[in-house]
Amino acid sequence: MSALLEVKDVVTAYGKIEALKGVSLEVQQGSITCLLGPNGAGKTTLMMSTAGILRPRSGSIQFAGAEIAGAAPHAIVARGIALVPENRLVFPGMTVTENLRAGAYQRADKAEIEAHIERMFARFAPLKARATQLGGTLSGGEQQMLSVARALMSRPRLLLMDEPSLGLAPLIVDEIFRIIAELNKDGTTIFLVEQNAHMALKVANHFYLIEQGKVTFSGDPGSLAEDEVIRRAYLGSARA
Amino acid sequence: MFDFIQAVLDGILFGTIYSLIGIGFTLVFGVMHKINMAYAAASIGAAYIGLVSASAMKAASAWVVFGCSLVAGGVLGFLVYLICFHLIPLRNENATLMSTVGMLLLADELISHATTGAPQNYPATLEDVMFRFGEMSMRGDLVVVFGVSVVCTAALLLLLYRTRLGLATRAVAQQPIAAQLCGMRVAQVNTLTFVITGVLGGIAGALICSAVGSLSILLTGPLTVKGLIVTVIGGLGSVPGAIVAGLLVGGLENVFQHFRGVTERDMYVMLLLFAFLIFRPGGIFAKGQGRD
Repeated sequence: MSALLEVKDVVTAYGKIEALKGVSLEVQQGSITCLLGPNGAGKTTLMMSTAGILRPRSGSIQFAGAEIAGAAPHAIVARGIALVPENRLVFPGMTVTENLRAGAYQRADKAEIEAHIERMFARFAPLKARATQLGGTLSGGEQQMLSVARALMSRPRLLLMDEPSLGLAPLIVDEIFRIIAELNKDGTTIFLVEQNAHMALKVANHFYLIEQGKVTFSGDPGSLAEDEVIRRAYLGSARA
Repeated sequence: MFDFIQAVLDGILFGTIYSLIGIGFTLVFGVMHKINMAYAAASIGAAYIGLVSASAMKAASAWVVFGCSLVAGGVLGFLVYLICFHLIPLRNENATLMSTVGMLLLADELISHATTGAPQNYPATLEDVMFRFGEMSMRGDLVVVFGVSVVCTAALLLLLYRTRLGLATRAVAQQPIAAQLCGMRVAQVNTLTFVITGVLGGIAGALICSAVGSLSILLTGPLTVKGLIVTVIGGLGSVPGAIVAGLLVGGLENVFQHFRGVTERDMYVMLLLFAFLIFRPGGIFAKGQGRD
Protein backbone atom coordinates (compact mmCIF):
# COMPACT_ATOMS: atom_id res chain seq x y z
CA MET A 1 0.00 0.00 0.00
CA SER A 2 1.10 3.56 -0.64
CA ALA A 3 -0.12 6.82 0.82
CA LEU A 4 -2.90 8.46 -1.20
CA LEU A 5 -3.09 11.43 1.15
CA GLU A 6 -0.10 12.77 3.04
CA VAL A 7 -0.62 15.57 5.54
CA LYS A 8 2.56 17.16 6.90
CA ASP A 9 2.90 19.76 9.66
CA VAL A 10 -0.37 21.44 8.74
CA VAL A 11 -1.23 24.54 10.75
CA THR A 12 -4.68 26.06 10.27
CA ALA A 13 -5.81 29.04 12.32
CA TYR A 14 -8.98 31.05 12.88
CA GLY A 15 -7.52 34.50 13.37
CA LYS A 16 -4.91 34.09 16.07
CA ILE A 17 -6.21 30.80 17.38
CA GLU A 18 -4.47 27.78 15.89
CA ALA A 19 -6.94 24.92 15.56
CA LEU A 20 -4.33 22.66 13.94
CA LYS A 21 -0.86 23.01 15.45
CA GLY A 22 1.20 20.99 13.01
CA VAL A 23 -0.78 17.88 12.11
CA SER A 24 0.88 15.06 10.19
CA LEU A 25 -0.80 11.85 9.08
CA GLU A 26 -1.23 9.52 6.11
CA VAL A 27 -4.16 7.81 4.46
CA GLN A 28 -3.12 4.64 2.64
CA GLN A 29 -4.58 3.84 -0.78
CA GLY A 30 -7.59 1.55 -0.41
CA SER A 31 -7.84 1.91 3.37
CA ILE A 32 -10.41 3.16 5.81
CA THR A 33 -8.46 5.53 8.00
CA CYS A 34 -10.12 7.04 10.99
CA LEU A 35 -9.44 10.20 12.96
CA LEU A 36 -10.78 10.19 16.50
CA GLY A 37 -10.74 12.94 19.08
CA PRO A 38 -12.83 15.08 21.37
CA ASN A 39 -14.87 18.13 20.38
CA GLY A 40 -12.71 21.07 19.42
CA ALA A 41 -9.61 18.92 18.79
CA GLY A 42 -9.43 20.09 15.17
CA LYS A 43 -11.01 17.17 13.31
CA THR A 44 -13.42 19.24 11.23
CA THR A 45 -10.72 21.87 10.66
CA LEU A 46 -8.48 19.20 9.14
CA MET A 47 -11.31 17.99 6.88
CA MET A 48 -12.09 21.56 5.77
CA SER A 49 -8.39 22.26 5.17
CA THR A 50 -8.04 19.13 3.03
CA ALA A 51 -11.14 20.01 0.99
CA GLY A 52 -9.89 23.56 0.42
CA ILE A 53 -12.66 25.36 2.31
CA LEU A 54 -10.06 26.50 4.84
CA ARG A 55 -6.55 27.53 3.87
CA PRO A 56 -3.76 26.05 5.97
CA ARG A 57 -1.35 28.68 7.28
CA SER A 58 1.60 26.37 6.71
CA GLY A 59 2.46 22.75 6.03
CA SER A 60 1.78 20.51 3.07
CA ILE A 61 -1.09 18.30 1.95
CA GLN A 62 -0.20 15.91 -0.85
CA PHE A 63 -2.83 13.97 -2.74
CA ALA A 64 -1.62 11.27 -5.13
CA GLY A 65 1.75 13.00 -5.17
CA ALA A 66 0.44 16.51 -5.95
CA GLU A 67 0.44 19.42 -3.51
CA ILE A 68 -3.11 20.59 -2.77
CA ALA A 69 -2.67 22.68 0.38
CA GLY A 70 -4.29 26.07 -0.25
CA ALA A 71 -5.84 25.02 -3.58
CA ALA A 72 -9.43 26.11 -4.29
CA PRO A 73 -12.21 23.63 -3.44
CA HIS A 74 -13.24 23.18 -7.09
CA ALA A 75 -9.67 22.26 -8.03
CA ILE A 76 -9.53 19.71 -5.20
CA VAL A 77 -12.85 18.16 -6.26
CA ALA A 78 -11.45 17.94 -9.80
CA ARG A 79 -8.45 15.98 -8.47
CA GLY A 80 -10.74 13.38 -6.92
CA ILE A 81 -11.43 14.29 -3.30
CA ALA A 82 -14.99 14.66 -2.02
CA LEU A 83 -16.05 15.65 1.49
CA VAL A 84 -19.24 14.55 3.21
CA PRO A 85 -19.45 17.52 5.55
CA GLU A 86 -20.41 17.58 9.20
CA ASN A 87 -24.18 18.09 9.57
CA ARG A 88 -24.63 16.77 6.01
CA LEU A 89 -25.36 20.21 4.44
CA VAL A 90 -27.81 18.92 1.83
CA PHE A 91 -29.39 21.60 -0.36
CA PRO A 92 -32.69 21.99 1.48
CA GLY A 93 -34.67 23.56 -1.37
CA MET A 94 -33.59 21.12 -4.07
CA THR A 95 -35.05 17.73 -4.78
CA VAL A 96 -33.07 14.61 -3.96
CA THR A 97 -32.31 14.14 -7.65
CA GLU A 98 -31.13 17.74 -8.01
CA ASN A 99 -28.89 17.32 -4.97
CA LEU A 100 -27.27 14.35 -6.71
CA ARG A 101 -26.93 16.30 -9.95
CA ALA A 102 -25.21 19.08 -8.01
CA GLY A 103 -22.70 16.49 -6.80
CA ALA A 104 -21.87 15.72 -10.44
CA TYR A 105 -21.46 19.43 -11.24
CA GLN A 106 -17.98 19.07 -12.74
CA ARG A 107 -18.89 16.13 -14.95
CA ALA A 108 -20.00 16.63 -18.55
CA ASP A 109 -21.16 13.07 -19.34
CA LYS A 110 -24.89 13.70 -19.11
CA ALA A 111 -26.16 10.22 -19.93
CA GLU A 112 -23.67 8.59 -17.55
CA ILE A 113 -24.69 11.01 -14.77
CA GLU A 114 -28.33 9.91 -15.06
CA ALA A 115 -27.25 6.26 -14.99
CA HIS A 116 -25.06 7.01 -11.97
CA ILE A 117 -28.05 8.59 -10.17
CA GLU A 118 -30.00 5.37 -10.82
CA ARG A 119 -27.14 3.35 -9.33
CA MET A 120 -27.20 5.63 -6.27
CA PHE A 121 -30.92 4.94 -5.91
CA ALA A 122 -30.19 1.22 -6.08
CA ARG A 123 -27.54 1.51 -3.37
CA PHE A 124 -29.41 3.97 -1.16
CA ALA A 125 -32.92 2.57 -1.49
CA PRO A 126 -34.65 5.07 0.85
CA LEU A 127 -33.57 7.90 -1.45
CA LYS A 128 -35.32 6.43 -4.47
CA ALA A 129 -38.73 6.77 -2.82
CA ARG A 130 -37.92 10.41 -2.09
CA ALA A 131 -36.41 11.30 -5.48
CA THR A 132 -38.69 14.28 -6.10
CA GLN A 133 -38.89 15.41 -2.47
CA LEU A 134 -36.93 18.45 -1.26
CA GLY A 135 -33.70 17.70 0.61
CA GLY A 136 -34.82 19.70 3.63
CA THR A 137 -37.83 17.40 4.18
CA LEU A 138 -35.76 14.23 4.63
CA SER A 139 -35.02 12.61 7.97
CA GLY A 140 -31.52 12.88 9.45
CA GLY A 141 -30.51 9.42 8.26
CA GLU A 142 -31.87 10.04 4.76
CA GLN A 143 -30.04 13.37 4.62
CA GLN A 144 -26.83 11.61 5.60
CA MET A 145 -27.31 9.05 2.82
CA LEU A 146 -28.04 11.89 0.39
CA SER A 147 -24.91 13.72 1.49
CA VAL A 148 -22.79 10.58 0.96
CA ALA A 149 -24.43 9.87 -2.40
CA ARG A 150 -23.94 13.48 -3.50
CA ALA A 151 -20.23 13.26 -2.67
CA LEU A 152 -19.93 9.98 -4.60
CA MET A 153 -21.46 11.61 -7.69
CA SER A 154 -18.12 13.34 -8.33
CA ARG A 155 -16.52 9.85 -8.52
CA PRO A 156 -13.88 10.59 -5.87
CA ARG A 157 -10.76 8.50 -5.29
CA LEU A 158 -10.72 9.69 -1.69
CA LEU A 159 -13.91 10.17 0.30
CA LEU A 160 -13.62 12.37 3.38
CA MET A 161 -16.42 11.87 5.91
CA ASP A 162 -16.94 14.23 8.82
CA GLU A 163 -18.92 12.61 11.64
CA PRO A 164 -21.41 10.71 9.48
CA SER A 165 -23.07 9.15 12.54
CA LEU A 166 -23.72 12.47 14.31
CA GLY A 167 -27.22 12.69 15.72
CA LEU A 168 -28.48 9.48 14.11
CA ALA A 169 -30.40 6.63 15.77
CA PRO A 170 -28.29 3.49 16.47
CA LEU A 171 -29.97 1.45 13.72
CA ILE A 172 -29.22 4.17 11.18
CA VAL A 173 -25.64 4.42 12.42
CA ASP A 174 -25.22 0.67 11.74
CA GLU A 175 -26.59 1.24 8.24
CA ILE A 176 -24.20 4.15 7.59
CA PHE A 177 -21.18 2.08 8.70
CA ARG A 178 -22.34 -0.85 6.57
CA ILE A 179 -22.36 1.56 3.61
CA ILE A 180 -18.88 2.83 4.50
CA ALA A 181 -17.48 -0.70 4.52
CA GLU A 182 -19.23 -1.45 1.22
CA LEU A 183 -17.90 1.67 -0.51
CA ASN A 184 -14.41 0.80 0.64
CA LYS A 185 -14.76 -2.75 -0.69
CA ASP A 186 -15.69 -1.22 -4.07
CA GLY A 187 -12.36 0.58 -4.12
CA THR A 188 -12.94 4.01 -2.56
CA THR A 189 -10.34 5.12 -0.03
CA ILE A 190 -12.04 6.57 3.02
CA PHE A 191 -10.80 9.05 5.59
CA LEU A 192 -13.31 9.21 8.39
CA VAL A 193 -13.68 11.58 11.33
CA GLU A 194 -15.74 10.13 14.14
CA GLN A 195 -16.80 10.54 17.72
CA ASN A 196 -18.33 7.09 17.71
CA ALA A 197 -15.01 5.36 18.39
CA HIS A 198 -16.61 1.94 18.90
CA MET A 199 -18.15 1.82 15.43
CA ALA A 200 -15.19 3.51 13.76
CA LEU A 201 -12.66 1.02 15.15
CA LYS A 202 -14.76 -1.84 13.79
CA VAL A 203 -14.34 -0.68 10.16
CA ALA A 204 -11.00 1.15 10.26
CA ASN A 205 -7.69 -0.29 9.04
CA HIS A 206 -5.77 2.41 10.83
CA PHE A 207 -6.62 5.22 13.21
CA TYR A 208 -5.21 8.42 14.61
CA LEU A 209 -6.07 10.27 17.79
CA ILE A 210 -6.11 14.05 17.64
CA GLU A 211 -6.15 16.19 20.76
CA GLN A 212 -5.91 19.97 20.96
CA GLY A 213 -4.74 20.35 17.37
CA LYS A 214 -2.07 17.64 17.47
CA VAL A 215 -1.96 13.96 16.55
CA THR A 216 -1.25 12.12 19.79
CA PHE A 217 -1.54 8.50 18.70
CA SER A 218 -1.33 6.46 15.54
CA GLY A 219 -1.96 2.76 15.29
CA ASP A 220 -4.10 -0.12 14.08
CA PRO A 221 -7.34 -1.01 15.86
CA GLY A 222 -6.31 -3.27 18.73
CA SER A 223 -3.03 -1.49 19.33
CA LEU A 224 -4.65 0.52 22.09
CA ALA A 225 -7.35 -0.79 24.44
CA GLU A 226 -10.76 0.32 23.16
CA ASP A 227 -11.80 1.89 26.45
CA GLU A 228 -8.60 3.95 26.41
CA VAL A 229 -9.33 5.08 22.84
CA ILE A 230 -12.89 5.96 23.77
CA ARG A 231 -11.78 7.85 26.86
CA ARG A 232 -9.30 9.90 24.87
CA ALA A 233 -11.64 10.35 21.91
CA TYR A 234 -14.31 11.86 24.13
CA LEU A 235 -12.36 13.59 26.85
CA GLY A 236 -8.83 13.99 25.62
CA SER A 237 -5.92 12.65 27.63
CA ALA A 238 -5.43 14.06 31.10
CA ARG A 239 -1.97 15.40 30.30
CA ALA A 240 -3.00 19.02 30.53
CA MET B 1 -66.86 49.77 -11.56
CA PHE B 2 -65.25 49.49 -14.97
CA ASP B 3 -62.88 52.30 -13.99
CA PHE B 4 -61.86 50.26 -10.99
CA ILE B 5 -61.21 47.07 -12.97
CA GLN B 6 -59.40 49.14 -15.56
CA ALA B 7 -57.16 50.61 -12.84
CA VAL B 8 -56.34 47.17 -11.46
CA LEU B 9 -55.63 45.82 -14.94
CA ASP B 10 -53.29 48.69 -15.84
CA GLY B 11 -51.60 48.30 -12.48
CA ILE B 12 -50.96 44.62 -12.96
CA LEU B 13 -49.60 45.18 -16.46
CA PHE B 14 -47.18 47.79 -15.13
CA GLY B 15 -46.52 45.67 -12.03
CA THR B 16 -44.58 43.17 -14.17
CA ILE B 17 -41.80 45.79 -14.25
CA TYR B 18 -41.82 45.87 -10.46
CA SER B 19 -41.57 42.09 -10.57
CA LEU B 20 -38.49 42.33 -12.81
CA ILE B 21 -36.80 44.87 -10.52
CA GLY B 22 -37.81 42.82 -7.47
CA ILE B 23 -36.30 39.69 -9.02
CA GLY B 24 -33.03 41.58 -9.47
CA PHE B 25 -32.91 42.59 -5.82
CA THR B 26 -34.04 39.23 -4.53
CA LEU B 27 -31.72 37.09 -6.67
CA VAL B 28 -28.63 38.93 -5.48
CA PHE B 29 -29.88 38.69 -1.92
CA GLY B 30 -30.58 34.98 -2.32
CA VAL B 31 -27.11 34.22 -3.65
CA MET B 32 -24.96 36.61 -1.60
CA HIS B 33 -27.19 37.61 1.31
CA LYS B 34 -26.43 41.20 0.47
CA ILE B 35 -28.68 44.03 -0.70
CA ASN B 36 -27.56 45.76 -3.88
CA MET B 37 -28.97 49.24 -3.31
CA ALA B 38 -27.56 50.47 -6.63
CA TYR B 39 -29.67 48.06 -8.66
CA ALA B 40 -32.53 50.34 -9.75
CA ALA B 41 -30.20 53.28 -10.41
CA ALA B 42 -27.92 51.06 -12.51
CA SER B 43 -31.02 49.90 -14.41
CA ILE B 44 -31.99 53.47 -15.29
CA GLY B 45 -28.32 54.10 -16.10
CA ALA B 46 -28.40 51.15 -18.49
CA ALA B 47 -31.58 52.50 -20.08
CA TYR B 48 -29.77 55.81 -20.60
CA ILE B 49 -26.69 54.20 -22.12
CA GLY B 50 -29.05 52.19 -24.32
CA LEU B 51 -30.75 55.39 -25.50
CA VAL B 52 -27.47 57.17 -26.19
CA SER B 53 -25.83 54.28 -28.00
CA ALA B 54 -28.91 53.62 -30.11
CA SER B 55 -29.03 57.25 -31.23
CA ALA B 56 -25.28 57.12 -31.91
CA MET B 57 -26.06 54.25 -34.26
CA LYS B 58 -28.79 56.38 -35.83
CA ALA B 59 -31.34 53.75 -34.88
CA ALA B 60 -34.06 55.32 -32.81
CA SER B 61 -36.42 52.34 -32.79
CA ALA B 62 -37.53 51.33 -29.32
CA TRP B 63 -36.39 47.76 -29.92
CA VAL B 64 -32.81 48.79 -30.73
CA VAL B 65 -32.81 50.93 -27.59
CA PHE B 66 -34.03 47.92 -25.62
CA GLY B 67 -31.29 45.73 -27.03
CA CYS B 68 -28.59 48.28 -26.20
CA SER B 69 -30.01 48.75 -22.68
CA LEU B 70 -29.92 45.01 -22.13
CA VAL B 71 -26.23 44.83 -23.00
CA ALA B 72 -25.43 47.96 -20.99
CA GLY B 73 -27.31 46.47 -18.03
CA GLY B 74 -25.13 43.36 -18.09
CA VAL B 75 -21.95 45.43 -18.22
CA LEU B 76 -23.10 47.73 -15.41
CA GLY B 77 -24.10 44.69 -13.34
CA PHE B 78 -20.57 43.38 -13.69
CA LEU B 79 -19.06 46.76 -12.77
CA VAL B 80 -21.28 47.09 -9.69
CA TYR B 81 -20.20 43.61 -8.58
CA LEU B 82 -16.55 44.39 -9.18
CA ILE B 83 -16.52 47.76 -7.43
CA CYS B 84 -19.07 47.29 -4.65
CA PHE B 85 -18.56 43.61 -3.77
CA HIS B 86 -15.43 42.07 -5.21
CA LEU B 87 -13.03 44.83 -4.20
CA ILE B 88 -14.65 45.35 -0.80
CA PRO B 89 -14.17 42.92 2.08
CA LEU B 90 -17.41 40.97 2.22
CA ARG B 91 -17.02 40.06 5.86
CA ASN B 92 -18.09 43.54 6.84
CA GLU B 93 -21.87 43.52 6.49
CA ASN B 94 -22.12 47.33 6.34
CA ALA B 95 -19.28 47.89 3.90
CA THR B 96 -21.12 46.48 0.89
CA LEU B 97 -24.37 48.15 1.93
CA MET B 98 -22.60 51.51 2.02
CA SER B 99 -20.71 50.82 -1.21
CA THR B 100 -23.94 50.10 -3.07
CA VAL B 101 -25.67 53.16 -1.57
CA GLY B 102 -22.64 55.14 -2.73
CA MET B 103 -22.99 53.58 -6.17
CA LEU B 104 -26.70 54.52 -6.22
CA LEU B 105 -25.82 58.16 -5.54
CA LEU B 106 -22.93 58.09 -8.01
CA ALA B 107 -25.15 56.63 -10.74
CA ASP B 108 -27.70 59.36 -10.01
CA GLU B 109 -25.01 62.03 -10.29
CA LEU B 110 -23.65 60.57 -13.51
CA ILE B 111 -27.07 60.43 -15.17
CA SER B 112 -27.88 63.90 -13.90
CA HIS B 113 -24.59 65.24 -15.26
CA ALA B 114 -24.92 63.50 -18.63
CA THR B 115 -28.49 64.68 -19.15
CA THR B 116 -27.84 68.11 -17.55
CA GLY B 117 -30.76 67.18 -15.33
CA ALA B 118 -33.29 67.38 -18.15
CA PRO B 119 -35.72 64.54 -18.88
CA GLN B 120 -34.79 62.70 -22.07
CA ASN B 121 -37.43 61.66 -24.56
CA TYR B 122 -37.66 57.89 -24.66
CA PRO B 123 -39.12 56.02 -27.65
CA ALA B 124 -42.40 54.22 -27.10
CA THR B 125 -42.97 50.70 -28.38
CA LEU B 126 -46.58 50.82 -29.53
CA GLU B 127 -47.48 54.46 -29.58
CA ASP B 128 -51.15 55.37 -29.49
CA VAL B 129 -52.28 51.80 -29.89
CA MET B 130 -55.28 50.80 -27.81
CA PHE B 131 -56.74 47.36 -27.48
CA ARG B 132 -60.47 47.56 -26.71
CA PHE B 133 -62.72 44.98 -25.14
CA GLY B 134 -66.18 46.51 -24.74
CA GLU B 135 -65.87 49.09 -21.97
CA MET B 136 -62.29 48.11 -21.20
CA SER B 137 -59.14 49.11 -23.01
CA MET B 138 -55.48 48.35 -22.73
CA ARG B 139 -52.66 50.70 -23.66
CA GLY B 140 -50.60 49.00 -26.35
CA ASP B 141 -47.28 49.89 -24.77
CA LEU B 142 -48.38 48.48 -21.42
CA VAL B 143 -49.22 45.23 -23.17
CA VAL B 144 -45.68 45.25 -24.58
CA VAL B 145 -44.31 45.92 -21.08
CA PHE B 146 -46.30 42.98 -19.83
CA GLY B 147 -45.24 40.69 -22.68
CA VAL B 148 -41.53 41.52 -22.46
CA SER B 149 -41.52 41.16 -18.67
CA VAL B 150 -43.24 37.80 -18.83
CA VAL B 151 -40.78 36.54 -21.45
CA CYS B 152 -37.81 37.75 -19.36
CA THR B 153 -39.17 36.17 -16.20
CA ALA B 154 -39.83 32.90 -17.99
CA ALA B 155 -36.32 32.93 -19.43
CA LEU B 156 -34.88 33.53 -15.97
CA LEU B 157 -36.91 30.70 -14.45
CA LEU B 158 -35.75 28.36 -17.23
CA LEU B 159 -32.18 29.41 -16.56
CA LEU B 160 -32.55 28.83 -12.82
CA TYR B 161 -34.38 25.51 -12.95
CA ARG B 162 -33.27 23.90 -16.19
CA THR B 163 -29.58 24.67 -16.61
CA ARG B 164 -26.30 23.76 -14.95
CA LEU B 165 -25.63 27.41 -14.14
CA GLY B 166 -29.05 27.69 -12.54
CA LEU B 167 -28.35 24.62 -10.44
CA ALA B 168 -25.10 26.20 -9.23
CA THR B 169 -26.88 29.49 -8.51
CA ARG B 170 -29.50 27.79 -6.36
CA ALA B 171 -26.85 25.64 -4.68
CA VAL B 172 -24.72 28.64 -3.71
CA ALA B 173 -27.83 30.44 -2.44
CA GLN B 174 -28.97 27.52 -0.30
CA GLN B 175 -25.73 26.13 1.05
CA PRO B 176 -22.54 27.86 -0.10
CA ILE B 177 -20.12 25.47 1.64
CA ALA B 178 -21.77 22.40 0.14
CA ALA B 179 -21.83 24.13 -3.25
CA GLN B 180 -18.06 24.52 -3.08
CA LEU B 181 -17.69 20.90 -2.00
CA CYS B 182 -19.59 19.97 -5.17
CA GLY B 183 -16.93 21.80 -7.16
CA MET B 184 -18.86 25.00 -7.83
CA ARG B 185 -17.07 28.36 -7.81
CA VAL B 186 -18.85 30.86 -5.63
CA ALA B 187 -17.12 33.93 -7.10
CA GLN B 188 -18.09 32.84 -10.61
CA VAL B 189 -21.73 32.29 -9.61
CA ASN B 190 -21.81 35.68 -7.86
CA THR B 191 -20.40 37.45 -10.92
CA LEU B 192 -22.84 35.78 -13.29
CA THR B 193 -25.73 36.59 -10.94
CA PHE B 194 -24.84 40.26 -11.17
CA VAL B 195 -24.52 40.15 -14.95
CA ILE B 196 -27.85 38.34 -15.33
CA THR B 197 -29.74 40.59 -12.91
CA GLY B 198 -28.05 43.54 -14.65
CA VAL B 199 -29.46 42.40 -18.00
CA LEU B 200 -32.92 42.11 -16.44
CA GLY B 201 -32.45 45.58 -14.93
CA GLY B 202 -31.43 47.08 -18.26
CA ILE B 203 -34.59 45.69 -19.85
CA ALA B 204 -36.77 46.83 -16.93
CA GLY B 205 -35.21 50.32 -17.00
CA ALA B 206 -35.85 50.67 -20.72
CA LEU B 207 -39.43 49.38 -20.31
CA ILE B 208 -40.18 51.92 -17.60
CA CYS B 209 -38.68 54.87 -19.47
CA SER B 210 -40.55 53.77 -22.57
CA ALA B 211 -43.86 53.48 -20.71
CA VAL B 212 -43.35 56.84 -19.00
CA GLY B 213 -42.13 58.40 -22.26
CA SER B 214 -39.02 59.96 -20.80
CA LEU B 215 -35.89 59.16 -18.81
CA SER B 216 -34.89 61.23 -15.82
CA ILE B 217 -33.14 60.72 -12.51
CA LEU B 218 -36.50 61.31 -10.83
CA LEU B 219 -37.18 57.66 -11.70
CA THR B 220 -34.33 56.10 -9.72
CA GLY B 221 -35.55 56.96 -6.21
CA PRO B 222 -39.12 55.66 -6.53
CA LEU B 223 -37.93 52.62 -8.49
CA THR B 224 -35.40 51.72 -5.78
CA VAL B 225 -38.11 52.07 -3.13
CA LYS B 226 -40.66 50.03 -5.09
CA GLY B 227 -38.06 47.38 -5.85
CA LEU B 228 -37.17 47.01 -2.17
CA ILE B 229 -40.84 46.90 -1.15
CA VAL B 230 -41.52 44.18 -3.70
CA THR B 231 -38.48 42.26 -2.47
CA VAL B 232 -39.62 42.42 1.17
CA ILE B 233 -43.25 41.58 0.39
CA GLY B 234 -42.16 38.69 -1.83
CA GLY B 235 -39.79 37.42 0.82
CA LEU B 236 -36.05 38.14 0.61
CA GLY B 237 -34.47 35.67 -1.78
CA SER B 238 -37.72 34.30 -3.23
CA VAL B 239 -38.04 34.68 -7.01
CA PRO B 240 -41.68 33.47 -7.18
CA GLY B 241 -42.41 35.82 -4.27
CA ALA B 242 -40.93 38.79 -6.16
CA ILE B 243 -43.04 37.98 -9.22
CA VAL B 244 -46.30 37.88 -7.27
CA ALA B 245 -45.37 40.85 -5.07
CA GLY B 246 -44.60 42.96 -8.14
CA LEU B 247 -48.06 42.31 -9.57
CA LEU B 248 -49.62 42.91 -6.14
CA VAL B 249 -47.86 46.23 -5.60
CA GLY B 250 -48.57 47.33 -9.18
CA GLY B 251 -52.26 46.46 -8.87
CA LEU B 252 -52.80 47.90 -5.40
CA GLU B 253 -50.91 51.05 -6.30
CA ASN B 254 -53.49 51.81 -8.94
CA VAL B 255 -56.33 50.89 -6.58
CA PHE B 256 -54.99 53.38 -4.02
CA GLN B 257 -54.67 55.96 -6.75
CA HIS B 258 -58.19 55.24 -7.96
CA PHE B 259 -59.72 55.81 -4.53
CA ARG B 260 -57.37 58.31 -2.90
CA GLY B 261 -55.65 60.13 -5.75
CA VAL B 262 -52.07 60.19 -6.97
CA THR B 263 -50.73 62.28 -4.09
CA GLU B 264 -51.75 59.77 -1.44
CA ARG B 265 -50.94 56.64 -3.44
CA ASP B 266 -47.42 55.96 -2.22
CA MET B 267 -48.36 56.54 1.40
CA TYR B 268 -50.61 53.51 1.22
CA VAL B 269 -47.92 51.50 -0.55
CA MET B 270 -45.63 52.27 2.40
CA LEU B 271 -48.32 51.23 4.87
CA LEU B 272 -48.64 47.98 2.91
CA LEU B 273 -44.91 47.44 3.43
CA PHE B 274 -45.27 47.90 7.18
CA ALA B 275 -48.27 45.62 7.29
CA PHE B 276 -46.08 42.93 5.76
CA LEU B 277 -43.08 43.66 7.97
CA ILE B 278 -45.23 43.29 11.06
CA PHE B 279 -47.56 40.44 10.13
CA ARG B 280 -45.64 38.51 7.48
CA PRO B 281 -41.98 39.46 7.76
CA GLY B 282 -40.96 36.41 5.76
CA GLY B 283 -42.99 37.57 2.76
CA ILE B 284 -46.00 36.21 0.90
CA PHE B 285 -44.83 32.62 0.62
CA ALA B 286 -43.25 32.25 4.05
CA LYS B 287 -45.03 29.98 6.45
CA GLY B 288 -46.94 31.78 9.19
CA GLN B 289 -44.29 33.20 11.48
CA GLY B 290 -43.25 36.51 12.89
CA ARG B 291 -45.38 37.52 15.81
CA ASP B 292 -44.73 35.17 18.65
